[in-house]
Amino acid sequence: MTNWLTKIRFINQLSQLKQVNWYRLNRNLHRDVGYFCIGFTLIFAISGIAVNHVADWNPNYAMTQVNLEVDDNSWTDLSDAAIAQLMLQRHQLTQEVKSTFWQNKHQFDVFLEGGSTLSWNRRAHQVSYLHVEPRVLLQALNKLHLNETRNAWVYFSDLFAAMLIFLALSALFMVKGKHGLKQPKPIILMSLGFIIPIYFLFTAQ
Amino acid sequence: MTYKTAMLGALLLSSVFNCAHAKELNFGTQVQPELLTPVSTIMASPQQYVDKPITIKGTIVKVCTKRGCWMNIASDKRFETLRIKVKDGVMVFPVSAKGREAIATGTLQALKFNLERTREIKAYYAKEEGESFDPASVTEPMTMYQLVPTGVSILD
Repeated sequence: MTNWLTKIRFINQLSQLKQVNWYRLNRNLHRDVGYFCIGFTLIFAISGIAVNHVADWNPNYAMTQVNLEVDDNSWTDLSDAAIAQLMLQRHQLTQEVKSTFWQNKHQFDVFLEGGSTLSWNRRAHQVSYLHVEPRVLLQALNKLHLNETRNAWVYFSDLFAAMLIFLALSALFMVKGKHGLKQPKPIILMSLGFIIPIYFLFTAQ
Repeated sequence: MTYKTAMLGALLLSSVFNCAHAKELNFGTQVQPELLTPVSTIMASPQQYVDKPITIKGTIVKVCTKRGCWMNIASDKRFETLRIKVKDGVMVFPVSAKGREAIATGTLQALKFNLERTREIKAYYAKEEGESFDPASVTEPMTMYQLVPTGVSILD
């Protein structure tokens, strides 16, 4: 008797499932997951562009260098601290000196608060000021993209990846009719998404 | 967007930025001060320390500006440095750390270059220092040493 009841319940559940509008459910889920992914997508896309061009452009810091010719004939007799003060004066800087270092016998570096550096080039009789300004927003986005924060962000990144997979697959069933999946245009566009990466894979040296 | 939503967003963003400007910075596992060895001692006979755990301490005098994947630590000997190198993203050293003291534990790695590569590297360093360079003057391949850290502390 109980066996029969279980079968009837199962058939009922199946008929309920048939009543679900899967097309609408898919569209609604695609829409809501899409909204949720906007923030993640912008973070990964913006920092992705920045990191992609790291060879040509520094995505984390804006760096500017100012070179000044100096009369440094008397500097060789001075202490490192005194030289550092003269270098600061030449560039009219008031920043605090963190430390100094002779990179080699021709170059003396003075490290300032914030990561900026003064360099005295004895050969060129030149003092260069390298000003370092962090790109705060991009730096934060890159930090998230490159997963420097670790911990729970790993799981959020995995969740984002899973949601992207869902968005890609659910997109297949979003539209019916003349713009539906079986039409030539969607097939061509979808194929390009596979062919282009494969082309680069095979042509890469 | 409501006022409360905007405030929540600002709070989340500020927490990210606050993390980026922490005073003492720690990366990886804890450093082991009991393994501290002067850089000059290591560089005097580096072969002895290859693949062994060591700890070094010194001023950070150069940092990779693009990826933050290496730092040069000043030796106690004049003009001498030892590079700390990690794979991209494993640890990211900030440029603002330049001039601060760092303590790092890891293993010393030997990088052996052939003669052609040795000439290229020496030519690069000569150019950086504004010196003339004759490739023919280099007749032997060289080995460079770097510390692959498991833990780094950038002190306040």
